[in-house]
Amino acid sequence: MKKKVIVLLLTFAMVFIVAGCSSKDNNEGASESVVVIAMGSGFSTLDPGFMYEQNPTLVANACYETLFKFIDGSDEPQTSLAESYTFSDDGLALTIVLKEEATFASGNPVTSEDVKFSLNRTKNLKGNPSFIADTIKSIECPDESTVVINLTGQDSAILSKLGYASCSILDSKVVKENGGTDAEDANTTDTAQVYLDATSAGSGMYVLKSYTPDEEIILEKNENYWGTTTNVDKYIIKLQGDANTQMMGLSSGDIDIALNLTDDTIIELEGKENVKVQNESTKTVGFLMMNEDEKIGGPVANNKVQKAISYAIDYKGIQTICGTGSITPESIIQVGFMGSKGEKDVSTATDLVKAKELLKEAGYEDGFDIDLEMSELDMEGVPLLDLAQIVKEDLSEININVNIVQRDWVAGYGDDYRDGKMGMTIIYWGIDYNDPNVQLVFLPGQQVGLRANWKEKGYEDITKKYNDILAETDSSKRSQLLVEVQDMIEEDSPFVMLAQASCHIGYNSKLTGVNFSDTYRVDVTEINIQ
Amino acid sequence: MERLRFIIKRFALLIVMLFGVATIVFVLTKLVPGDSAVANLSQRSLSDPKIVEAYKVKHGLDQPVIIQYFIHIKNVFKLDLGTSMRTNQSILYELKRCFPATIELATLAILLSTIFGIFFGIISAMKRNSIVDQIVRAISVLGVSIPSFWFALIMLYVFYYKLQILPGPGRLSASFSAPVAVTGFYMIDSLIEGDFLKFIDALKHLILPASVLAAFTMGLITRTTRSNLLDVMSTDYIRTAKAKGLSKVSVIVSHALGNALIPVLTVIGLGFGNLLGGMVLVETIFNWPGLGQFAYNSVKSLDYPGIIGVSLLIALNYMLINTVIDILYGTIDPRVRCK
Repeated sequence: MKKKVIVLLLTFAMVFIVAGCSSKDNNEGASESVVVIAMGSGFSTLDPGFMYEQNPTLVANACYETLFKFIDGSDEPQTSLAESYTFSDDGLALTIVLKEEATFASGNPVTSEDVKFSLNRTKNLKGNPSFIADTIKSIECPDESTVVINLTGQDSAILSKLGYASCSILDSKVVKENGGTDAEDANTTDTAQVYLDATSAGSGMYVLKSYTPDEEIILEKNENYWGTTTNVDKYIIKLQGDANTQMMGLSSGDIDIALNLTDDTIIELEGKENVKVQNESTKTVGFLMMNEDEKIGGPVANNKVQKAISYAIDYKGIQTICGTGSITPESIIQVGFMGSKGEKDVSTATDLVKAKELLKEAGYEDGFDIDLEMSELDMEGVPLLDLAQIVKEDLSEININVNIVQRDWVAGYGDDYRDGKMGMTIIYWGIDYNDPNVQLVFLPGQQVGLRANWKEKGYEDITKKYNDILAETDSSKRSQLLVEVQDMIEEDSPFVMLAQASCHIGYNSKLTGVNFSDTYRVDVTEINIQ
Repeated sequence: MERLRFIIKRFALLIVMLFGVATIVFVLTKLVPGDSAVANLSQRSLSDPKIVEAYKVKHGLDQPVIIQYFIHIKNVFKLDLGTSMRTNQSILYELKRCFPATIELATLAILLSTIFGIFFGIISAMKRNSIVDQIVRAISVLGVSIPSFWFALIMLYVFYYKLQILPGPGRLSASFSAPVAVTGFYMIDSLIEGDFLKFIDALKHLILPASVLAAFTMGLITRTTRSNLLDVMSTDYIRTAKAKGLSKVSVIVSHALGNALIPVLTVIGLGFGNLLGGMVLVETIFNWPGLGQFAYNSVKSLDYPGIIGVSLLIALNYMLINTVIDILYGTIDPRVRCK
């Protein structure tokens, strides 16, 4: 009997080995109309009402449409479901006429009631992306194809906000049938997330066929799509964020687009005939923050010390850590946004002599000791602690002895950072929506400014300029105002912008239209197979 | 009858232990410094007290801790483990989704480690102090000491990237859609669907992660089998069997192995328990959507219901495995049953 059992078990093991060592998979990813994408997970829902992480915006952009959209890498929103729009003279009402031909995957037409439902739902769910509708006071639907969005105040970024994934327009009939509501108590009464995690209810080029968390997402062509389509019938999105396995999959042809490659892995891909690589800078920016309150910041509360520190940092070294494609913006608005002051010239930005002079003027000729409080977070895969090490080394050149203090994000760091209790730290800021106005939080009296205790008092002229920017809906004029406000803060800012994180994308050369996008990661509605 | 009474007693004890685990895990999650809202809300949302308040109300975090505890215990006994703060799905749904993937992988891993571990252990004991013994012992030490994440990457690099004889990460190739979930085990569900190619594909995807996971337990089983077999081989009844003229293989298989395997059973059981609860790294590298990944994500986002759900499940696994091992002890060795 025992012999039989052993023989059986050994036979079973042999079957495993033989089955395993048979020929390579016949991969559908290499066939004509299916594209396989590998991207990181780290998100938990595909319901646009709760969506705020970067990766799922790729899916939202495929399955849903927004009133406005960023097309072909443009940083200005173009009409999408909106046919046309006008602002009222006081800038407090935005009237949008919808495209009549637009329909949802269900066949229902896209109406003004769907727009009202979708935006109100996002606002009332009180989830992470609800802030996007903060400036929306009310929504009116004079007729089926006209929407009037009344604003709480002038908001020059409203078109960009309406292009954000969480402002995707949902098929209200379908969502309501499945537990959705846009009522004020939606945060406790809406139950549509389970439905929207399993399927989509949008008007996009694709429909969500299945979503297995941490494993894969399958998108199939929307048979009722009302617009022009590409020749890709199906997307299989593998939720595999490891750069090495993405590189291996891309090399072997198992996947067609790898979204999370690193400097190391792109070296492995060099010379591969069927693979193309893009190294781009993202709009996620890492920065050094120094507290303006002397009781908290100590010496770094001094503007001259802050300036000295900005001259002591080796920005080239920071960029090396952040990877190929990383750049350093000259001021608070990243390169790629309108109103940006462009890229910092890293060959001249570091000036130790000037830094030492400034320290001497500030009364710290012999330097000082300072804590640099750091969390365990990473910026697009780069640990912030690595940046801290570079800054520590750089500041030692001007006799500033940095002591790196590690703290857990959820166990106090996050609270202290938000409450303005940190003397000096390095953290990052990812854009909430694709508009330069998101960076105005770095101004005195604004959200991030206050984290450095940089208060409005004494900077009323900057606040006025801030309000002018919010009110200015003309792009070229707003761009000019943005440059001006950055000039105004140049001497006093307690922030040193270190680098815009890089992003490495690899893709099969049979594909066209693959371009990194901060808003959608890659816009799958622009990809074709050659 | 005696055995039935033993089993009933063990299962009654299991309920009491689960209550204890539920209490300890709840207390520990509350003692750990950290704020679930900070972990799950964006920086911008955290600056809005209304959103933070809505989050706490939604997840019952606005209640006093003692009330939260009583609600938690009541729900556990109603088999309602609550809703994940991270995914907004019911914890039971999440466990049901993740657990089959883990069991499927852990079962193959334990099967491989048992087969090869016992086999190598026997060979090593039979060829004591020979070159074969030295090689086997080196392999078992390597299996125990090699870091699993590194081994996983090496295995992928060699068998998937370079040799291209085994598939890469995931449970299925891109050319196959997931089978309709009946059991959650892809191999079984694909057979139920009648798709043999999908079955083979699912099997092939199991080989690399299962081999990586099997390495550690195989090393332990090899060492335990070898040392126990050597102990048993020096006993009087084995000497008697040899004196009766039985062949070496017959002595080992028919007389020595049964007794030598009793401690091995414990190693196998605990190894299986470890595999069910602790394969975060391997699951991450092989993109295996199992319990390890769910546990990791739950801890990372301080998803209290998720952490408690996984802990209870892992504790339950250990208790069940220990109960089964105790029963098996009695089957292998009647003296244990009598005691």
